Amino acid sequence: MTSAPLQALHGGLFEGYDTGAFFDEMFLAPGVPRPHYAKLFRMLGATPQAQFEDRRNLADIAFLLQGITFTVYSDGTGTERLFPFDLIPRILPHSEWDRIERGLSQRVVALNLFLQDVYGQQRILKERKIPRSLVYSCHHFHREMIGVEVPHGIYTHICGIDLVRSTKTGEFLVLEDNVRTPSGVSYVLENRQVMMRTFPDAFQSYEVRPVHHYPTELCRILRTLSPRGEDNAQVVLLTPGIYNSAYFEHSFLAQQMGIELVEGRDLIVDAGMVYMKTIHGLQRVDVIYRRVDDEYLDPLVFRPESLMGVPGLMGAYRSGNVALANAVGNGVADDKAVCAYVPDFIRFYLGEEPILGTVETYLCSRPDDLSYTLAHLPELVVKAVGESGGYGMLIGPASDEETIEIFRKKIEADPRNYIAQPVIGLSRVPSYDVESKRMAGRHVDLRPYCLYDGQSVTIIPGGLTRVALKPGSLVVNSSQGGGSKDTWVLRDDS
Amino acid sequence: MLSRIADSMFWLARYMERAEDTARILDVNYHMLLEQSAVPYRLRWDPLVVMAGEQERFAQFYEEANAQTVYEFLAFRADNPNSIVQCITKARENARTIRDRISREMWEDINGLYYSVTRFDPAEQISSGPHRFCDAVKFGCHRFFGVTDATLPHDEGWDFLKIGWSLERAEMTARLVDLQFQSLLETPTVVGPADNHQWMAVLKSVGAYEAYRRQYHSPIEPERVAEMLILHSKHPRSIRFSITELQIGLRAISGTGPGFYANEAERLTGKILESLRYDTVEEIFRQGLHGYLTDLLANCRAIGEDIAHIYFYYGAGE
Repeated sequence: MTSAPLQALHGGLFEGYDTGAFFDEMFLAPGVPRPHYAKLFRMLGATPQAQFEDRRNLADIAFLLQGITFTVYSDGTGTERLFPFDLIPRILPHSEWDRIERGLSQRVVALNLFLQDVYGQQRILKERKIPRSLVYSCHHFHREMIGVEVPHGIYTHICGIDLVRSTKTGEFLVLEDNVRTPSGVSYVLENRQVMMRTFPDAFQSYEVRPVHHYPTELCRILRTLSPRGEDNAQVVLLTPGIYNSAYFEHSFLAQQMGIELVEGRDLIVDAGMVYMKTIHGLQRVDVIYRRVDDEYLDPLVFRPESLMGVPGLMGAYRSGNVALANAVGNGVADDKAVCAYVPDFIRFYLGEEPILGTVETYLCSRPDDLSYTLAHLPELVVKAVGESGGYGMLIGPASDEETIEIFRKKIEADPRNYIAQPVIGLSRVPSYDVESKRMAGRHVDLRPYCLYDGQSVTIIPGGLTRVALKPGSLVVNSSQGGGSKDTWVLRDDS
Repeated sequence: MLSRIADSMFWLARYMERAEDTARILDVNYHMLLEQSAVPYRLRWDPLVVMAGEQERFAQFYEEANAQTVYEFLAFRADNPNSIVQCITKARENARTIRDRISREMWEDINGLYYSVTRFDPAEQISSGPHRFCDAVKFGCHRFFGVTDATLPHDEGWDFLKIGWSLERAEMTARLVDLQFQSLLETPTVVGPADNHQWMAVLKSVGAYEAYRRQYHSPIEPERVAEMLILHSKHPRSIRFSITELQIGLRAISGTGPGFYANEAERLTGKILESLRYDTVEEIFRQGLHGYLTDLLANCRAIGEDIAHIYFYYGAGE
């Protein structure tokens, strides 16, 4: 069998595959797969191109039929698009995942403690571990939340933490935290479903850890938050509605958990209680897994013009008559400038050293960092602190002088609103290139989903691997031409 | 069950039924009319548009009702909200808003049907005739109801689907009978064998032709056709059958027992059903078929409005 890899390399799907100057998740060196990828590499190398195309079509049809689409608003009317799925899985051996899991758990607990503190005692501000001005100037810091007792002290029920593997060290680093309403977990579950149908043979030769317990675990945690006790918990998922880009996910999760999917207009607050309108009259609601942003939740407290929200909801929440997951005001913890302080949070609250490193970050609010950033714009990635989804971002090396100058003016006008990071040479995974009909290296990141019940953190093995399918691109967001892959965490190391 | 979800269930079923009924009527009449080239065909194509209740809109787009324009209008036009493609689009849109409440199989099925009907090229279809398209829609709808029956729990959601399709079906059959009788009995130019074909077409468009043959063993007589389509207790597309289903659905939702009613929709349904059970077709003709069906359609509309008011759009405190 020793000649198999070489055969696979010549003439198969991997013909002319170039690992480039990047960390390649599949290959140690050209033609030499890493141990945990060896079986898959042999299998793919022996797959004729036509058969591979055939399986790709099958997978695409499955996604289309299930309506696994997201909505893009480009021409004024929203159009449904498939979130491109690449068939080559991203594989993580047990030992590597184990470290990630411990690192993420530690981080989630620290983020939750920070939120408890910042809306409570504010010890961390008093001890000057983070500038008060930085916290108070966050767009998503809500004074309305100070002194509010959230159920079991949990703010971060659901976190999606973006990791990237640096080419330089081969190590996973935290790029950013998403502790408001992270999305994408439905793709993890659907990708796995489609992958098992499309490549059953590959699953037979690997022991891949399952992911489908996510909705059960999420539902269990949501029920514990009920003010009337777990046994009487009426849990609902609040969606902005069918035109939201993540609507598929909202309905998918509601269905998987067996809870009602509601819109703002289905809910009414009466005498401090939340009710939903049913065909047999009003029914009390105890827990809301809300996928509506803070600003739109309650027009009486936040944006008065919001039609997605429920008038009076914040009042019911503050009186403890209804629980919200995630908590309101979490945005202060995933502000991109505050993110740089999370290692300090871990030391301050837990007295531990951070297990996972963080991507080096320059805060433009600090004079030294600002002057460094302005002097090195063509080499840096600059991000607006409150944005997500790949919007409001400058990628220095890929931008022309004009764009850079526009960003320079924006940064100078409002330094607090920007951070800069070095360009990370994201690791690559072989992905099918539709043009050349061959495998080509494409950059990936990883977003694991963490659930926190106040005692322990549960992370479904793997998470969402997003892949930049455009040659050379480093932007993995679906709105910018990104796709996704199934992510396999193995029971052992190969 | 949330009011909004019940509302979507109800309309999902109504739109599917409307798509299917339109496809049936179009398919049968189209082929019947092709054989009838001797009769002045302007007269013949119009009723199909009238049946859809869309004369005004039709007149905005076309000068003349003929095989091509009527087919395009009823099957494909995006600006006709009741065209087959639009009905299926709206049915799918409703399914999409409640996809967490319907079975995965139902969603995949209706989504697949949506993609298959929107993939037909109207220009190509119009020149090759509606059979293939209408058949795809008809069987697509049957399949959807079959999948629904087999995969959705027969609980409240099911009951709302049931009252949606049965109300729609009763109305469609009533309009079909009303129009065909007006145009066939009141048009003196039509005599002899042509008549026979048209009555056959009426039966075929509700899939009742073979059943009629088995039951009556006689030449096709207008009164028997009306009897079959209005009063038959077992034929699944007769008005009586549909209203019976409607009553079963409404009672299941409110939990009302036989002989009682919980709301205006149930009262009207019971009232119509009594008349459908005990009237003979001779009595109906004596009092005037058109008047009878007009009253029935007005009651159906009132039932629809009442269902919306009781279950979907009530305000706080009601």
